[in-house]
Amino acid sequence: MSLIELPSTREEEWRWADPEAIAAAASLPWSDATENAADWWIDLPGARIVVRDGVVDQAASTLDRVTLRSIEAGDHALGQRATGPGWSLHLDTDAAAHPVQIVHISTGGANHLPSEIVLADDAVAQVVETYVGAGWANRYLRVTLGATARLMRSVRLLQAGGFTSLREDAALGTGASLVTIFLGAGQAGTRIDATIVAGAGAFADYGGALLTAGDQRQECAVAVRHAEPHGSSQQVWRAVAADRSTASLAARVEVARDAQKTDGVQSLRGLLLKRTATVNLKPELEIFADDVKCAHGATVGELDARALFYMQSRGIPHARAQALLTTAFVADALDRIGDNTVRAAFSADAETWLDGAL
Amino acid sequence: MLKIENLHAEIDGKEILKGLSLTVNAGEIHAIMGPNGAGKSTLGYVLGGRPGYEVTAGSITFNGQDLLELEPHQRAAAGVFLGFQYPVEIPGVSNVQFLREALNAQRATREEKPLSGAEFLKLAREEARKLDMDAEMLKRPVNVGFSGGEKKRNEMVQMGIVNPRFAILDETDSGLDIDALRIVGDGINRIMRAPDKAVLLITHYQRLLDYVQPDVVHVLADGRIVRSGGADLAHELEREGYAQVTA
Repeated sequence: MSLIELPSTREEEWRWADPEAIAAAASLPWSDATENAADWWIDLPGARIVVRDGVVDQAASTLDRVTLRSIEAGDHALGQRATGPGWSLHLDTDAAAHPVQIVHISTGGANHLPSEIVLADDAVAQVVETYVGAGWANRYLRVTLGATARLMRSVRLLQAGGFTSLREDAALGTGASLVTIFLGAGQAGTRIDATIVAGAGAFADYGGALLTAGDQRQECAVAVRHAEPHGSSQQVWRAVAADRSTASLAARVEVARDAQKTDGVQSLRGLLLKRTATVNLKPELEIFADDVKCAHGATVGELDARALFYMQSRGIPHARAQALLTTAFVADALDRIGDNTVRAAFSADAETWLDGAL
Repeated sequence: MLKIENLHAEIDGKEILKGLSLTVNAGEIHAIMGPNGAGKSTLGYVLGGRPGYEVTAGSITFNGQDLLELEPHQRAAAGVFLGFQYPVEIPGVSNVQFLREALNAQRATREEKPLSGAEFLKLAREEARKLDMDAEMLKRPVNVGFSGGEKKRNEMVQMGIVNPRFAILDETDSGLDIDALRIVGDGINRIMRAPDKAVLLITHYQRLLDYVQPDVVHVLADGRIVRSGGADLAHELEREGYAQVTA
């Protein structure tokens, strides 16, 4: 079996990468027992797109404003494999689409799919994606936001096995807003790669919660680049690691020489549910402008034993106390999902994960 | 109600309680006083079942049940309440959520029906009002950003909501101003002064005992009860100091 070729782990972005896990996922046998998309829809109006093994199942989908077209992926080591036919959401100036939901079902082997979201000035969109099944699901997404366009994305990584790799390139126009929140709460390996380039006064909120258990590994390598002045960004990531699992968060804020008055906040926190688990955190600030405000914090710890006993002493059983404290920890990241229905669904998935892990 | 016999307990191999015996009957309020390091808080934690506090000898019986056999949450369900000297802050968990979880978990352990959200809120608001706590504070994360006095008042609100049979209150009077002391004292009397309930008040000073009249006062020194008496003993301690009384 040949390994998936990735850049050397000596390169910072690939330091914690796990090519063996991707190769193993790609060679998973195809399974007839497939996930049913109906189990994963969140109660929202709008497009419902079923992607089966990297191919949009048009018969099972309601495309609404989404079209299918050929999309060129960039030159990213993983992303470049996802090139060719994919899905596309183009909105004209001032347009607002109903939410777009996409359920990606993998049944084994490897599948690749590119996609793009292009919002003209002032357009507004919301996209919710869910990954289920097993195999290697590899995705590329290009996001282009016009002036003051707004995109809210929420992504659930719930595959029961295999690997999910996501590469995203985003370009934010003047005053545009991109909020992308991930929840990794499946049993698959995960890799999230993203580069967000923020224009003048643009806002990027990019973060999420990665929950790992067993021997699982999940990681992200994200860079937000402020290219012009008055931009702001938040990267709030929470990692919860149980058993012998590893969660790795590498997040970078880059402020270009001309990007004065940038306001960047970075909060990376890890929680170890077992001492055999690992959380790697790598916060990075690279600042070339001299009038900016950038704050970052990175901590790894265990659940507060005093809080656990306090809760137990009030009648809450140990496992439930752990779950409440862990839920609160994860909520910092998931609370950034603006849509109540979506946030509730993601929180419920996190709770389900906790019930299994604690 | 509570019978402690020859209790020995240690933390990290260091013996703190060295043969403590104590009996508290239903309807009684006992005060435990003593110098710093005597083992007062350790006694509270051992009764609550805090991990790391190892009982090496002796027994604790609560209403005929071996308390040491029970997990901390089971002790709560059995009716034991531990009021903390330093109530813990829990970011991200609201007071309402925390207390409803706690009350319903206790009810579940006792095989009682859970309270609905509406029933619980009514109860919580009522208790907050009685203890002069702003109902808005129920929505805030548990003890986060609360002043010392507000934390102690919150302990009393919790005690009112779970309505225990036996309360161990560890320096509930510390950090309270005169008004708060009166409110907390009234709360203890209102919630716990009953023929089928009992209280163990752990305190340094006489002042809480002006509001909550103890039936029995014990002096704890070097891990043992060295003297017991009526309410007058507290005044004697205040006047003459521990060294004199325990000598």
